[in-house]
Amino acid sequence: MAVRGKAAVSPPPNRSPIIVQKARHMESSAVDPVVKMHGIVKTYPGVRALDDVHLDVGAGEVQGLVGKNGAGKSTLINILNGLTQPDSGSIRIRGVEYSGLTAARARSAGIAHVAQHVKYVPGLSIAENISLGDLPERRGWVDWRTLFETADEKLRKFGLDLDVRRPMEATSVAERQMIEIARALFADASVIILDEPTAPLPKREVERLFSFVSKQKELGASFIYISHFLEEIFEIADRATVLRNGRVVGMSDVSDLTQKDLVHLISGTSVQRFSRQTGELGDVVLKTRNLSRDNAYSDVSLEVRAGEVVGLTGLEGSGPGALARGLFGLEELGDGEVSISGKPYVSGSPVKAIAQGMANLPRDRHGLGIVAIRTVKDNISLSILGRLENRFGILDGKKEKSLVREYIDSLSIVTPSMDVEIANLSGGNQQKCVVARFAATSPKVLILDEPTQGVDIAAKAEILRIVDDLSKRGVAVCIVSDEINEMIDICDRIVIFHRGRITREFIKSEEEITPKQLIAAIEGVDMEAQNEPL
Amino acid sequence: MNLYSRLVVVIDHLIWVILAVVFLFFVTQSEYFLTERNISNILSAAAVLGVLVVGQAFVLISGNFDLSTESTLGMSALLGIWLIVPAASPHFGGGIGVNSYVSIAAILLMGAAVGYFIGSLITLGSMNNFIVTLAVLLVIRGLMLAFTEGSAVNGYNLPEADVFYWLGHEKAFTIPGVVKVSYAVVATGLVFFAGHIILNYHRFGRELYAIGGNRNAAVASGINADRRIRQVYVLSGMLAALAGWMLAGRVVSIQVNLGEGFIFTVFAGAVIGGVSLHGGRGTMLGALGGVLLLSTIDRGLNLMQVSVFWVKVIQGLIILLAMLIDAQRVRIRALAQLTSQRESPFKA
Repeated sequence: MAVRGKAAVSPPPNRSPIIVQKARHMESSAVDPVVKMHGIVKTYPGVRALDDVHLDVGAGEVQGLVGKNGAGKSTLINILNGLTQPDSGSIRIRGVEYSGLTAARARSAGIAHVAQHVKYVPGLSIAENISLGDLPERRGWVDWRTLFETADEKLRKFGLDLDVRRPMEATSVAERQMIEIARALFADASVIILDEPTAPLPKREVERLFSFVSKQKELGASFIYISHFLEEIFEIADRATVLRNGRVVGMSDVSDLTQKDLVHLISGTSVQRFSRQTGELGDVVLKTRNLSRDNAYSDVSLEVRAGEVVGLTGLEGSGPGALARGLFGLEELGDGEVSISGKPYVSGSPVKAIAQGMANLPRDRHGLGIVAIRTVKDNISLSILGRLENRFGILDGKKEKSLVREYIDSLSIVTPSMDVEIANLSGGNQQKCVVARFAATSPKVLILDEPTQGVDIAAKAEILRIVDDLSKRGVAVCIVSDEINEMIDICDRIVIFHRGRITREFIKSEEEITPKQLIAAIEGVDMEAQNEPL
Repeated sequence: MNLYSRLVVVIDHLIWVILAVVFLFFVTQSEYFLTERNISNILSAAAVLGVLVVGQAFVLISGNFDLSTESTLGMSALLGIWLIVPAASPHFGGGIGVNSYVSIAAILLMGAAVGYFIGSLITLGSMNNFIVTLAVLLVIRGLMLAFTEGSAVNGYNLPEADVFYWLGHEKAFTIPGVVKVSYAVVATGLVFFAGHIILNYHRFGRELYAIGGNRNAAVASGINADRRIRQVYVLSGMLAALAGWMLAGRVVSIQVNLGEGFIFTVFAGAVIGGVSLHGGRGTMLGALGGVLLLSTIDRGLNLMQVSVFWVKVIQGLIILLAMLIDAQRVRIRALAQLTSQRESPFKA
């Protein structure tokens, strides 16, 4: 890897591209990078989306690309994909200069883009999906044997052992990503762009994907890796390029960076890690007894007090997510008893749940959270329209506006006005709007399902602050999350699920909770027993 | 506001610009275009279409389709008159002989019932809205044929139906030399106004936009989407019945194929007016523009003595043009969002 720059981290307020000079230095290097974007400028009316941006990826290298939403990552990637034309700058792919890179030319130059959710044809087999548009034929009919054999061969070549006859929808999200990567590699891709691949993946799948990517890297494949999860950058990337407001503000070997440096570079300010002081605990609000649902959870008995924040975690499919959806009525609840403040709770639908004082921030912000084409105001007031209507159903516009204003202020939602479409906001601010929507219902119990998923670091800390604030006002809060560090920061108690059952409980006031302990408990490993021989 | 945001505003109101251009074009093409009679005709044609478009716009905004309204329109006109025809009348074997008020109530109820039936099949039966409403369209058309055995229901010389005809027939007021405005036109105006109020200031409308914009998110926010969808079909059915009532007062003799093929014009009006087929977007003002544009073109071409066949061709082309503009609207809106993200600091 001849194209490694030495650590050069510019202090954020200083906009002079020191690092970029280092990068230029590398031009003289004997080995050309596989992809080299140089001095890329892209201006939209009134804004400079990219300003003299450089990016290069060496053979057998994973180049991390990080930055907040709107920093210019997507524009840069779109330019490399040939979807957007830069105003100036040069793009070299395998030593060939491309000007006027179109999508078709980018593809033939070997630029492969693997999206978070790979597009596929559900009804068809893995093999058919791999060879789509190029099915082997014999006398006008599909040559099934050749189809399956070549598909199998292709996957095996890249160390993927999957039954290619299986329908594509039976594969996991990570498997589909790996199939897509293998397909790109087989088509002799120069560089593979992985665009936030892990956001929808459970922990275990992330590991599978990473070991797959590492293996391909060792065999000489090049990747551009985009992610909001900074831990992942350290785990998978060799170098990282940091964009902020359309400029490269840092480029460095990750081994020369600390997470703090990276956060600093991305945000331009230092972000305080959130830490919560447990407040006064009130009476038990949410109480479940022996809740069970087939293939989801069994025998769950939980108590959550007013003012308490309880974390529910476990491996994917171990129960907490299903429990959250069941309690809120998005899915069936199953057998067992639930009460809220002593009153028996009737489940069935979100309408009923909200009426009984339960709210649930759903996991999938785009699918279940925001209504992208409606305004910030409409998104925030969505769950409380019933409280704003008069006898004839006409809404009290004044009251609505002042209420929305209040939430925009108190949750520091950054938006030019409450009348813009919510799609205009950053992920973090969209998420805050959804939090505001549910906070506005004055819930007794608030369940948050992966509240910080897909939002940038600054917004993550802010969302935790909001959760803390709500709990201090006497809301009983449950957080379902895989983010172990965040859970330790925010939760008073962490309840571990394994195969649908509660197997362990950590109480912050009684013991120091470490990530290691939590991971062991989540994986179902007995810590005590394992510690012995050490 | 950057360039693209301004373009979005222009495109959102483009319908009125086009309407003005088309209007002026016809004024130069025919000396009869600006007559009292012609303007009144445009408005009368717009009245029936407008009521149907309002119903369709509501359904579209909720993310659904309703193909059945043209048949509900025909059925309510037919049923409305038949109910009034005396039992021993020579017209079509005789009717029931109820008074006009009962008949009006009956057809509105019929529209509501059709809507409720459709809404229930879609929500409770988890059936596809397109197929359900198409099937209901066929069923109602079939019922009309079976019921009349193919002959028209004739309401001429029927003094008992005066009250029934009032809506489509009577003039509310006249501005001499400019326009004669029938009660149907006034009623349609009220329907548009009420629709505007409901969509923007009533809980029902706001929830419809949310359901059409992202149904799952709406449900997860505690909106009873199924109930709202049943209600929107009830509304659509009742408005179709209202349109049928208006039309009955104008044509009096009801052919069994009354309203056949009208649904395409209804969709065209809604889409040209900017109501999205994907749900969640659309305004009453836009829909009104779409309706006026279609009726103006219809009457204008008629005055220019363009053959009906060409009128169809032109209508089809207009729909294509509207879709083209709509597609650009989506693109430009995306660009506007992209650029506004970049220029303003709020995208933190």
